[in-house]
Amino acid sequence: MPPSVTHQLTWPRRTANRVRGLSRLSPTAAAGVVIIVCFGVLALFSEWFMTHDPVSSYPDRILQGPSYEHWFGTDGNGMDIFSRVIYGAKFGFGIAIPAVIIAVLIGIPVGLIAGYRGGALDEILMRIFDGLRVFPSIILALAVVAATGQSLLNVVLVLGFLDSPVFARLVRAEVLALRSSNFVESAIAAGNPTWRILFFHLLPNTIQGAMAQTAVRAAWAVRISATLAFLGIGIQAPTPEWGAMIRQGAEFMVTGQWWVAIFPGIALIFLVFGLNLLGDGIQDILDPRRRASK
Amino acid sequence: MRQPILRAKNLVKRFSVGRSSSYVNAVNGVDLTIHRGEILGMVGESGSGKSTIGRTLLRLTDPTEGLIEFDGRDITSLSAKELRPLRKDMQMVFQDPWSALNPRMKIGDLIAEPLRIHLKLSEPDLRDRTELLAKKVRLSTEFLNRTPSALSGGQLQRVCIARAIATNPKLIILDEPTSSLDLSVRAGILELLMELREETQAGFLFISHDLGTIKLISDTIAVLYLGRIVELVPKEALFNEPAHPYSQSLLSAHLPADLDAPIQRLILEGEIPSPIDLPSGCSFHTRCPAAVDVCKTATPQPELIAQNHHVSCLRLKDGGNILSRQQA
Repeated sequence: MPPSVTHQLTWPRRTANRVRGLSRLSPTAAAGVVIIVCFGVLALFSEWFMTHDPVSSYPDRILQGPSYEHWFGTDGNGMDIFSRVIYGAKFGFGIAIPAVIIAVLIGIPVGLIAGYRGGALDEILMRIFDGLRVFPSIILALAVVAATGQSLLNVVLVLGFLDSPVFARLVRAEVLALRSSNFVESAIAAGNPTWRILFFHLLPNTIQGAMAQTAVRAAWAVRISATLAFLGIGIQAPTPEWGAMIRQGAEFMVTGQWWVAIFPGIALIFLVFGLNLLGDGIQDILDPRRRASK
Repeated sequence: MRQPILRAKNLVKRFSVGRSSSYVNAVNGVDLTIHRGEILGMVGESGSGKSTIGRTLLRLTDPTEGLIEFDGRDITSLSAKELRPLRKDMQMVFQDPWSALNPRMKIGDLIAEPLRIHLKLSEPDLRDRTELLAKKVRLSTEFLNRTPSALSGGQLQRVCIARAIATNPKLIILDEPTSSLDLSVRAGILELLMELREETQAGFLFISHDLGTIKLISDTIAVLYLGRIVELVPKEALFNEPAHPYSQSLLSAHLPADLDAPIQRLILEGEIPSPIDLPSGCSFHTRCPAAVDVCKTATPQPELIAQNHHVSCLRLKDGGNILSRQQA
């Protein structure tokens, strides 16, 4: 029975426990879940909600205010802002989720190895990561994306890489606390090779803190990617990405066409807000110390 | 004589204290041999270096000096990687079963782990062997799907023992395996260990501070004081005629089975000295009722006083045997 010597019974029960875990969420975290689910539906099934093609321009309807035909109005290219805001949810998730996954995939193994091996390797890895964190992430992201080429893929890779120290640090701190624990020594005595100790013994016991951070770090990735787009880095203008739309709309604010920037701005605020609420809720559940201190 | 499985010569382990130049002298020149099918009991106070010896013999910590020979092979300076295949044949059971098992692994996986590492078994075979092992340590197979938090201390220690015997090792070191368990549970574990000794013909090192447990289970007993073996002796000889003053005081503190038997208490004064500043000469001289001036300067060497009975005491020949002297 792969890969564990156990019976099938256990996983439905585990899933049931997880669902029950959701009900332990605080009201604010539950609100976060609702917001994320709404945006998730919008992102996955944008086509069902959009009233127009997000990148078709109607040259005769440039900069029209909200109306029955264009609920959120039209932008400087005569594109339907409502449809563009909805389509933009794809970019929000499409950047944040892979960026966090990359950050986890780099950060957690580095944290495990650095914490377990210690010594010079630990020093070198942690100093590199400290170096990354010395610069404000937006400056570094700006520089790296500008240097590596302006593409969506580069934005995702850079954000994931820049955020990996967060996860590395969290896991490393837990590994330091556990590496001389009895069960690790008993695993060594049993003859476990290092990789088994890292992934079967240390990983499951050190990952909670890092997992609790994922939603908050996704909020960070959404914010930074929108900021980059606002600055014109990575994602370019007609793409229906919220940051890029806000940039375009910013010019029109002074002349009174508020709807161009306001609607993508509201969408951005809600998504970041929802992810942060969810992140706080997850942290409360996974980290009892934090909950107790409240 | 039975085949020796582990031999240690002049084993020394010092831990540095912070950044200063002082050391904790945990183990100070230990010679011992464990044979297959034999249970060597090691008894001593807290701080006498019992656990450190156990962990050093299995190279879980590196010895400062000395030689460790396992199954005829010098393992003193093997790397962690070179040791790994040998760990199939040398296993350990730890004192505190609650913390010795990964809390996020299932009992079945914990028991199967040594098999999975050392033997190439198919999944069905692995499962059969795991269930067999659970039965052997009298653990219900229902527990195989549970995590350690669902089991009691005695059950967890059975899991640890199942892990230790999974690969049929030639040597098992047990570091106070029963001292954290209730008396009733303790008896069951000891019984199991004695059964396993007969079945597996492995060599056992049983570390304990409890003379009663040691008496029950060991064939040979090593009495430890401040990281030195002061007396290495067959069990009967120790309980009938302990030769070293420290062994005598240990025994006199131990309640005999026959409560009416006359016992002569030999109560030691003071605490065991700090292993950072070892006493000069015989390290027991600060508390020894038989100590004379020479004990403060000369270090006693193990002497053979009867078959398989080694004692390290300078006053053996001139009446240092205080119990019999007082009785006379």
